[in-house]
Amino acid sequence: MKTDGRKWLIRLLTGIFVILLFPAGTGGMQETGEGSSGEKLLKPVMRIRVATTTSLYDTGLWGYLEPMFEENYGVELDVLYAGTGIALEYGRRGDVDVITVHSKSRELEFVERGYGVERVPFAYNYFVIAGPGDDPAGIKGKTAEEAFRALATGGNGLFVSRGDDSGTHGKEKAIWKSAGLPEIANSKKNSDTAGWLVEAGRGMGPTLLMADEKKAYTLCDIGTFLSYKGKISLVPLVQKGEILLNVYSAIAVSPEKYPRVKHDMARNLIEFLTSPRIQELIGNYGTGQYGEPLFTPCAGTEHVDQRQPRVKTP
Amino acid sequence: MTELWEGIARAFVLILSLDREVMEITGRSLTISMTSCGVAVLICLPLSSVIHFNRFPGKRYLISLIQTSFSLPTVAIGLFVFVIFSRAGPLGILGLMFTPSIMVIGQAILITPVMLGLTISALSGGDIAISETARALGATKFQTMVITIREVRYAVITAVVMGFGRAISEVGLSLIVGGNIKGYTRTITTAISLETSRGDIELSMALGIILTMIAFLINLVLNRIQQK
Amino acid sequence: MIETSDLEQRFDGHQVLKKVDLKIEKGKVFGLIGPTGAGKTTLLRILDLLDRPVAGRIYFDGEDVLLSERRRFEIRRRMSFVQQKPVVFSMSVFDNVACGLRWRHDKKENIDRKVRDTLKRVGLSGLGLRDARTLSGGEVQRVAVARALVTEPELLLLDEPTANLDPVSIYRIETTLLQVVGEGKTTVLLATHGMSQVQRLADTIGVLMKGELLQVGSPAEVFCSPVSGEVAGFVGIGNILSGEIAAKDGDLAIVEVNGNSIQVVTEVPVGKKIDLVIGPENITFALTRDPSSARNVFRGRITVMTELGTLVRIKVDCGFPLFGVLTVKSARELGFEIGKSIFANFKATAVHIIQRS
Repeated sequence: MKTDGRKWLIRLLTGIFVILLFPAGTGGMQETGEGSSGEKLLKPVMRIRVATTTSLYDTGLWGYLEPMFEENYGVELDVLYAGTGIALEYGRRGDVDVITVHSKSRELEFVERGYGVERVPFAYNYFVIAGPGDDPAGIKGKTAEEAFRALATGGNGLFVSRGDDSGTHGKEKAIWKSAGLPEIANSKKNSDTAGWLVEAGRGMGPTLLMADEKKAYTLCDIGTFLSYKGKISLVPLVQKGEILLNVYSAIAVSPEKYPRVKHDMARNLIEFLTSPRIQELIGNYGTGQYGEPLFTPCAGTEHVDQRQPRVKTP
Repeated sequence: MTELWEGIARAFVLILSLDREVMEITGRSLTISMTSCGVAVLICLPLSSVIHFNRFPGKRYLISLIQTSFSLPTVAIGLFVFVIFSRAGPLGILGLMFTPSIMVIGQAILITPVMLGLTISALSGGDIAISETARALGATKFQTMVITIREVRYAVITAVVMGFGRAISEVGLSLIVGGNIKGYTRTITTAISLETSRGDIELSMALGIILTMIAFLINLVLNRIQQK
Repeated sequence: MIETSDLEQRFDGHQVLKKVDLKIEKGKVFGLIGPTGAGKTTLLRILDLLDRPVAGRIYFDGEDVLLSERRRFEIRRRMSFVQQKPVVFSMSVFDNVACGLRWRHDKKENIDRKVRDTLKRVGLSGLGLRDARTLSGGEVQRVAVARALVTEPELLLLDEPTANLDPVSIYRIETTLLQVVGEGKTTVLLATHGMSQVQRLADTIGVLMKGELLQVGSPAEVFCSPVSGEVAGFVGIGNILSGEIAAKDGDLAIVEVNGNSIQVVTEVPVGKKIDLVIGPENITFALTRDPSSARNVFRGRITVMTELGTLVRIKVDCGFPLFGVLTVKSARELGFEIGKSIFANFKATAVHIIQRS
């Protein structure tokens, strides 16, 4: 009787074990270079994970680059729609192999603390402050700081903040500080902001939609803004100033901290992003659809150019 | 209003034309939830027998605890699973984060209290003479468990179906531990949550309709069973 | 074959079985009788090794079976237990009966054959495919007996197998049991209320009252020579008279009972208070006072007549109550009816003496 029960217990545990771990798809130990991402493979294929800021995703850039990378290297690329703050956390926990974010200070800290190998900028664009066409707060043409001050004091417009610890959110805070209103950057619930500042707590695309819905102002990277052009009625109002520079970098998670990250493939991904061919493609991405590119490639250099953005105002 | 009707219409087109993405996401939802349901069944059926048939101190409190856990928030469990299975966590060495497997594990944890509680209930509602008779006829403990569960099988099936229903309609856990990766860990519920907020209403609606139909089917099945 | 020593059982603080020493011989029928609540079911469950006693030992063919859980299970498989109100599983009759064999991993051909044979034995041949839950009470009982028999147990335990059944079902089941016993391979322990049943079927009888095994012996010993007033009260149909030994002449004594003198044979000295037990079958009735070897002849009036199948039980008031049985035919021929004055005779040697404690 005892062996009867024990036999079944073993079968049961084996069954559970097999079910749980077999389709884990955590990837084989070797790279098996069979087929493209769409094919069903019999051998386990390597999966590499990149946590990305939402603007790179909402613009569709990752969707564009993903199949190319997968085909080139015979791996599956898992893109996690995260937001800079979350992406950095995933990186700190070693749950992803690469992060692509846009918050220079935090990226440097990430590398300094030993979580990342190296900060590799690969593209940039600008932020814009977008708002309703009739511009009730009258910020058109102002600098970013002036515009923010107007929104804080004027009482004529609603501002939708990312509120999600993302790179864009970080940029908002930087502008508030630069505008002499650091308390707005630091506060959570502030009587100063109640009534005109709304925290979306979501990605760039969704935040834009929310701002559009509320006929409010919001800070947005030009890439996402352009790619959402048809879906929203907001217009870009403030586009000047170096503070609005938006640089995207890729960082491989440190294999010293997390030996199990797929560091070789991570390096491949970064090389891919900074390779001349892909850099060119990034530079042209969106031209067909939106009339102008959404990004400017900048691999190897920190952006120096102060060119005015070529956004066509409607 | 027209946008709504247009949206619904285009959603039906997606479904009826067996749109690849819709089918892929639906298939994944079903697979993950059925697997987690299966795991939960393997755990709950024997465990419920053990709890039901044995006397031990604190049994009543245990059953209370199980019943309280019926509606634990999915995000809470998601967070718990995330912290444990993240590479930085105790079971990080398994490398299961952002895979369908961890979603199966998480959902199994989620629905175990429901399935366990309802199965124990089912056994309590059964006739104790059944297990006594089985023992008297020479059944082993395991054989006794099988026949006792068999006698209340309709109530047990109800428990399983309810567990499945909870699994397939949850979103918080799948989002947190799955990462909603397109083509890999995106399920009906996570896709709806993402695509709706990103503005792709058609896909969301199509998926929403499918999910509703699944829920409807589940209810139908439950009704048939309860009539027996 | 099965022996217990100092068995005790307690539930919720109540002593349900006290110091039960039992010996059941192989191949024989042991009848366990006792009133409701005496502990018969409890004892049977312990013997089937379903429950553990709080004290005492059980020996199966000389082996102490309480020593290991595994042994208990193995031996339990060599026994079968038909419970008091049996339940059937929600499956066909065939599957119900096949359960025990399937659990023992018997081969399919064997199972088919054995189940069919057993169903035939209990007269349920045509019902194999019926859902067992749709059966009548008698049929359910027979399924339970079939379930128990199909595994060819060495020891068959039955807890009131014919209680609340119609006569046809009772007959069927008793016939099956007699067949089984007749084959000599199975030992049977039958717990029952029915006095006539146990007299018909049992080789040995044990009387269990309030958790104590008061008497074990052949049916004759138990019914005619009950060892105590309690036992007598249970097994007899009421001929217990209390009196005192008034005089003696050698072994022949005269007992005063309610002003009447009854002659008995006993060693008990004069002056002792005793109970007299007279088996009803030892009383003969006549319309007139006829000379016979019976030393006790009493005149009385018939006060109650109860028909029990082919027999009639009558109560006669002779100054003290006397119960007797006779055939319906005799009663009719003699013109017995309530109120009639008749004579009751019984021998001095037919009276059983119990000393009052």
